[in-house]
Amino acid sequence: MRGHAHLIAAYHPGNSVVHRAPLRLKAAFLLVVAVVCFAGAGPFAASGALTAVVVLHFAAQLPAARLWKPIRLMLVFLLLIGAYQFWQSGPLTAWRILAGILATVLAANILTATTPVDRLLDGLARLVAPLRRFGADPERFALTVSLMLRSIPFIIGAFDDVRDAARARGLERNLRARTLPVMICTVAYARQTGEALAARGLGEAEE
Amino acid sequence: MNRIQLDAASVLLPAADGTDRQILRPTTLDLTEQRIAVIGANGSGKSTLLRLVNGLLLPSAGTVTVNGLDTARDGRAVRRQVGFVFTDPLSQLVMPTPLEDLELSLRRLYPSGSKRRTAAMDILDGFGLAPLAQNSIYELSGGERQLVALASVLAVRPGVLVLDEPSTLLDLRNTRLLRERLAGLPQQLLISTHDLELAQDCTRALVIGDGGVVFDGPPADAVARYHQLAR
Ligand SMILES: Nc1ncnc2c1ncn2[C@@H]1O[C@H](COP(=O)(O)OP(=O)(O)OP(=O)(O)O)[C@@H](O)[C@H]1O
Ligand SMILES: [Mg+2]
Repeated sequence: MRGHAHLIAAYHPGNSVVHRAPLRLKAAFLLVVAVVCFAGAGPFAASGALTAVVVLHFAAQLPAARLWKPIRLMLVFLLLIGAYQFWQSGPLTAWRILAGILATVLAANILTATTPVDRLLDGLARLVAPLRRFGADPERFALTVSLMLRSIPFIIGAFDDVRDAARARGLERNLRARTLPVMICTVAYARQTGEALAARGLGEAEE
Repeated sequence: MNRIQLDAASVLLPAADGTDRQILRPTTLDLTEQRIAVIGANGSGKSTLLRLVNGLLLPSAGTVTVNGLDTARDGRAVRRQVGFVFTDPLSQLVMPTPLEDLELSLRRLYPSGSKRRTAAMDILDGFGLAPLAQNSIYELSGGERQLVALASVLAVRPGVLVLDEPSTLLDLRNTRLLRERLAGLPQQLLISTHDLELAQDCTRALVIGDGGVVFDGPPADAVARYHQLAR
């Protein structure tokens, strides 16, 4: 079941400028892109952000396939949003919103592709460290967030796997046959991850 | 010395028809040997017994303690002492590469990122896995994957290691490598297995049948008893 899942969102080892850039710089870039795209910027700003993200993608020496993969997975969703916005508010708004979504997703993709999970965990833990005196457990928070991040590609991958399995039995048009197993897989995956952590005594609150 | 104790521990699980089914009959055991095997037919309750030991499963009645710590009351402390190795290493590995998975285990022991990485590489090297450190776990062979899973569990330095059929997915060569690796460990080992040679490496063996311990003694006698049951 985890066949497709690992292809996305994994770290892509390399030694590019982007790989070596500090995590906070990459996180700031993602934040700026998200703000530019969703805080009411115009279609030109969104196009500019998208261009910058694509340039950065190749500057990080990431394969083109890695750019295409998230787009392909979101294609239906993007088309629906695009069509709706086109119909409601015209082509410029439709483009602004699509470019904004793409730029943000691809910027997040660059962040996870060029930062090892371990560094991401450290960064997250440091981010919430000041909240420790209010009872927060930074290590646990970091683990939860990064496991959530890792579960997203798993769930998307599960849709692909289940589609293949449904096709093999001629059930590809059966919505139930295509969604129910994904839910079951997702619950099983969450359980399995929990047990995998318990097997090493990880992920539990510190005293 | 480590000590696993079951005191009239039993497990009831809800069956599909709404009634409760007894998966493990009230069982009392005092396990202090360094190498303990658990053998028995499919569905007899081996995994259930093993899962009780690190609190992955809690007894419906009775108690399970490890070095005096109750799995129900002190679950967290128990899990820090008892590592668990699953049959399928893919269920065990949380991160996409061996190096990242080891680093995850080492987060508590090494707060500094660079020291953690060095320590992770050292461990992988000790298992002969250093060249594969950055490969995807999906690209490793089953034997390599099982070794990574074992390394990741050992990295948190448990005193007790519970292994649920660790060699079931391995070929002969990898099974031998795993047996050698296990033989050298300082931990107390509780191993469920269908591999009777692996069982013979132990000093005490439990035969599980129908949700209860039906034999407890030297491995050679246990295997004989198991053969008798299988007829
Ligand atoms: N969560 C559960 N709910 C209901 N029944 C369960 C559950 N887990 C296990 N069982 C049942 O408990 C019995 C014992 O299962 P267990 O997994 O302990 O056997 P096992 O000896 O490990 O078998 P195997 O050699 O196949 O791994 C089986 O009949 C199984 O169907
Ligand atoms: Mg089992």
